[in-house]
Amino acid sequence: MAILQPNKQYSITKSFFLYFILLLLLSTIDINAQIYQVYVTAESDDLVQLVSFDAASNKGWVDITIPVGKLPTETDGPHGLTISPNKKHWFVTIAHGNPYGYLAKYSTENNELMGTVNLGLFPASMEISNYTGLLYVVNFNLHGVMEPSSMMVVDPETMDLIAELPTGIMPHGTRMNSKGTKAYHVSMMNDELIEVDTYGLDITRTLSLKVSMIDDSAHEKHNTETTQDLVAELKAMDGSGGRMSWMKEMNASKPANEEKHSSMTYHRPLVKPTWVDTHPNDQWVYVAGNGSDEIIEIDVENWSISRRMPTGKLPYNLEVSPNGKYLVSSLKGAGATSIIDLEHGVELARIPNSRRVSHGVTISPDSKYAFISVEGVGGEPGSVDIICIETQELITFVETGKQAGGISFFTTLK
Amino acid sequence: MENISFGKIFLSHAKILRIMNVKVLSFFCFFVIITPYFLQAQESQIRLLNQPLELRVNERVQLEAEVLSADGVVLADTVVFFSRARRSLVVSRDGELLAIKPGVHIISAMTLGPDRIRQDFEVNVLFPPITYVEWEQAEHTFYSGTLLDLMFEIRDSLDVVRSVDELFISSSDESILSVNDFNQLSLNDVGSANLTVIAGTEKFSWPVKVLENKATALTMKLTNPSSEPIKTGDVVHFSTHVEDRKRNILAYMPVQYSFIAYPNDKLGQGNSAQIAQDGRFVASHAGKYSIIARSGAIQTIMNITVQPRNIRRSLEVVGKGIVPDVKTSDLWVWEGVDGSDYAITGTWGARGEAFLWDVTDPSNIHTIDTVKVDARTVNDVKVSEDGRIAVITREGASSRKNGIIILDVTNPSETTILSEYTDGLTGGVHNTFIYENHVYAVNNGRKYDIINIEDPRNPYTVGVFELDTPGHSIHDVWIEDGIAYSSNWGDGVVAVDVGLNHSSDMPGANGSPANPTPLGSYTYPSGWNHAAFPFKSESTGKFYVAAGDEAFPYGLDTQGPNRAAGWVHFIEFDGWDNPKEVARYQVPGAGSHNYWIENDIMYAAFYNGGLRVVDVSGDLMGDLYEQGREIALFLPTDPNAAIPNSTFTWGPQPYKGLIFLSDWNSGIWAVKLGALQN
Repeated sequence: MAILQPNKQYSITKSFFLYFILLLLLSTIDINAQIYQVYVTAESDDLVQLVSFDAASNKGWVDITIPVGKLPTETDGPHGLTISPNKKHWFVTIAHGNPYGYLAKYSTENNELMGTVNLGLFPASMEISNYTGLLYVVNFNLHGVMEPSSMMVVDPETMDLIAELPTGIMPHGTRMNSKGTKAYHVSMMNDELIEVDTYGLDITRTLSLKVSMIDDSAHEKHNTETTQDLVAELKAMDGSGGRMSWMKEMNASKPANEEKHSSMTYHRPLVKPTWVDTHPNDQWVYVAGNGSDEIIEIDVENWSISRRMPTGKLPYNLEVSPNGKYLVSSLKGAGATSIIDLEHGVELARIPNSRRVSHGVTISPDSKYAFISVEGVGGEPGSVDIICIETQELITFVETGKQAGGISFFTTLK
Repeated sequence: MENISFGKIFLSHAKILRIMNVKVLSFFCFFVIITPYFLQAQESQIRLLNQPLELRVNERVQLEAEVLSADGVVLADTVVFFSRARRSLVVSRDGELLAIKPGVHIISAMTLGPDRIRQDFEVNVLFPPITYVEWEQAEHTFYSGTLLDLMFEIRDSLDVVRSVDELFISSSDESILSVNDFNQLSLNDVGSANLTVIAGTEKFSWPVKVLENKATALTMKLTNPSSEPIKTGDVVHFSTHVEDRKRNILAYMPVQYSFIAYPNDKLGQGNSAQIAQDGRFVASHAGKYSIIARSGAIQTIMNITVQPRNIRRSLEVVGKGIVPDVKTSDLWVWEGVDGSDYAITGTWGARGEAFLWDVTDPSNIHTIDTVKVDARTVNDVKVSEDGRIAVITREGASSRKNGIIILDVTNPSETTILSEYTDGLTGGVHNTFIYENHVYAVNNGRKYDIINIEDPRNPYTVGVFELDTPGHSIHDVWIEDGIAYSSNWGDGVVAVDVGLNHSSDMPGANGSPANPTPLGSYTYPSGWNHAAFPFKSESTGKFYVAAGDEAFPYGLDTQGPNRAAGWVHFIEFDGWDNPKEVARYQVPGAGSHNYWIENDIMYAAFYNGGLRVVDVSGDLMGDLYEQGREIALFLPTDPNAAIPNSTFTWGPQPYKGLIFLSDWNSGIWAVKLGALQN
């Protein structure tokens, strides 16, 4: 046990003084120095990378590269990424498994794998509710026959699967309201926005996003098979709602591109929504209309579409800035990033990305910077493009593994 | 550090302060402050009202739970349930519990919200009672002084096969017969007694009459004699008759086989041979062996000499095509319509390219064309039998629509894309096979689609095959005589009739490409089944499927040298219903990948173990590597390779007296077997 010695007091006082001087000197050098860090997946390289951006020097770099996946000579496809509210863990969805994908949990301290839990086919986007503490993830299941999929609920502490909720076809883009009481996602092939009660673990509302339905939402339900109708049908077909029973395909002679069940037919999607995010004030939800080249604003209380804002080609992901002023979306088809002024509903800028196939968006908590993952094509590396929201400029980009995808803001270092 | 005795700490307050620094005090204060909070939190609990939970298989119960505060007050919180063993016990979040498999399983109950609490509860699903026990040897004749391994068929009320370990086996008179810990029946003396089995509350009993053992002689003989000397790896079959004084053969007389080894190498050599209790013997090492057959108190011995197999041959490099910047995946070599020889290789984790090579002069392998598609990995490449059509697979397409690309390789120097087919195949195709105008495409690791390519510009899917086991998965498919052999990781090898033809040695089930019909399967515990190659042994006429593993227990470094694990399993199929795993080929320190069997020779890629050429002629039993059946070994390396000076061999193909192989690290190679080296 160390015991303070009287003759050391002078040296400690001296040390404090020296530290104080040093701190003063540092503060005069660069008092605004700030490093922003994001985690990003490389879907075709089976990597997750921690990318840093120094706002003082406008330089970015890859800090750490973490290999993920279980099948070394195959592409496992890390897709979605989220970080726990306490910042102690990051979670990544791995699209391909045997054959189901899974969720993997890593420590942010040492980036070591802490646990996995099997999910459904091509699990994608997710978020942890700060209300229930549970993680909500949708199984995108974008390959093969278009069929209803599911949202899975996981206890992120123990990595246990707690519940599985049937949902629409190709669900994507899970995001919470600020309280964590509602989880929103979209069904790409049903053209729907879906609201899940995170506490009751049930779908509470669905909303058709089709243009023709804006003024006649009552009519639409008679003509279009909604997610809730599909869910009801599935429940009727199989009381347990378990994935194996209703995801299983017959080894039938029917071509794969034929619809298997007449009761499960779906209308050709028009909006093809791919992402959703909530406004910090919880009054609005914003959806990327990937098929209709627009951002759709939904009034949460009235559960109706309040605005449609045209964008460039194929908006894919989006995020509302924490200050609620801006909406930043990736334009997958245009290879660009769009910044929209939410008050006026106008696009302020459309900034070309560093390469083709723009993917994910995350914004720093101070609403200053947007970090865009850009996939690239073929052997090209992916990238994280760093855009200053205020000046609407691409400041720099950091090359990552191939097909950069899921991206999540981690922390700010001063 | 000062040495302080425990007693001194209590001498005075001042002394305590002297020896405890500020940190210790801070911790103490912190714990004093937070302990009440912890205690309070720990006192909140979920109480399950159904305790204790004991169910039968298929029984349902509605769970009832309540949340109690620290003061024991019932709170209005919602409790949700989930199972920690979803395949054994299903529970809805509202608590409807269904028992599926026997055993002790865990369910969790949890409140929701920021201060959620969670508790685990044990559920005991009772094993169904054993209701059927058949002693398979009950009708045998029993002789005093002999020993036999007891064999039972045991089933429970749900018709599930149960283990002999669950039985209590006893004798009514141990002077007549007794049972030891290995479930062996000792027939001790002439007389009658009952063999009794107790399974739970059920009791089964059989009368056993033990006759006088009149055996006087054992006659052992070789049933597969050869004019050739016995060599290591040769499976020698012994059979033994037990006879009485009048030379009558005594039926059901148990015989145990063993051997004494006198290996040539006496320097601590191990594992020199093995013998099965049906009389099959194989030696791994040369030497003299005394084969012993014993029945009761009498025995006979036959001495045999086993010589080294002496099949080692050299391998010489004929040519190579080094790929310097990307990793090479699969290959296919074929004779083009112009009579020249060509090869196509895929690439892994790169730019979506397939390379076409002229290998007519194997000492001058050179690229003649490159096909580039929107993908990161072109894992598999196959060419049709007529040499006109090639199919390459795609993974990592930027559009996430992967599928296959069909190429016209009539003139491989000017390869053209005929069509891109992604219908239902967008998730990625890892392997394919072309057979009778159909492409069998492994779809998203989940199933295989069967695609008609009679018009290669307009392919269309005609059938799909998918297993229905939980968490099923598929890696590869290979077609022989109208039977598709797929490799399915944990589900093992699955044979499917996709249009059996007359040259097949195995029975079919009226399948077709539009109606793929399962025939049989074989699984093994590791779950590493990655490839399958069916073959009929030319020397024995027996039908085998060589089922290969893929495993990376040491991880995979995409930028450097690697090691793999796993081996090739040899499964003998005598009809579809009773497959038996009879042998293996396992290379120490390396792992199997792709392989090819032709004329009773296996050409196997063993990743860091390079190319192995293996004699698989004759009966197969035990570890072929140990038996000296390896004919040749080649470790391709090149200083200019994508991973320099490191071997990671992907796949071989014997072709026109040469062996072509692709190596992940370096590209394509042509090698030739040389002279005997013994």
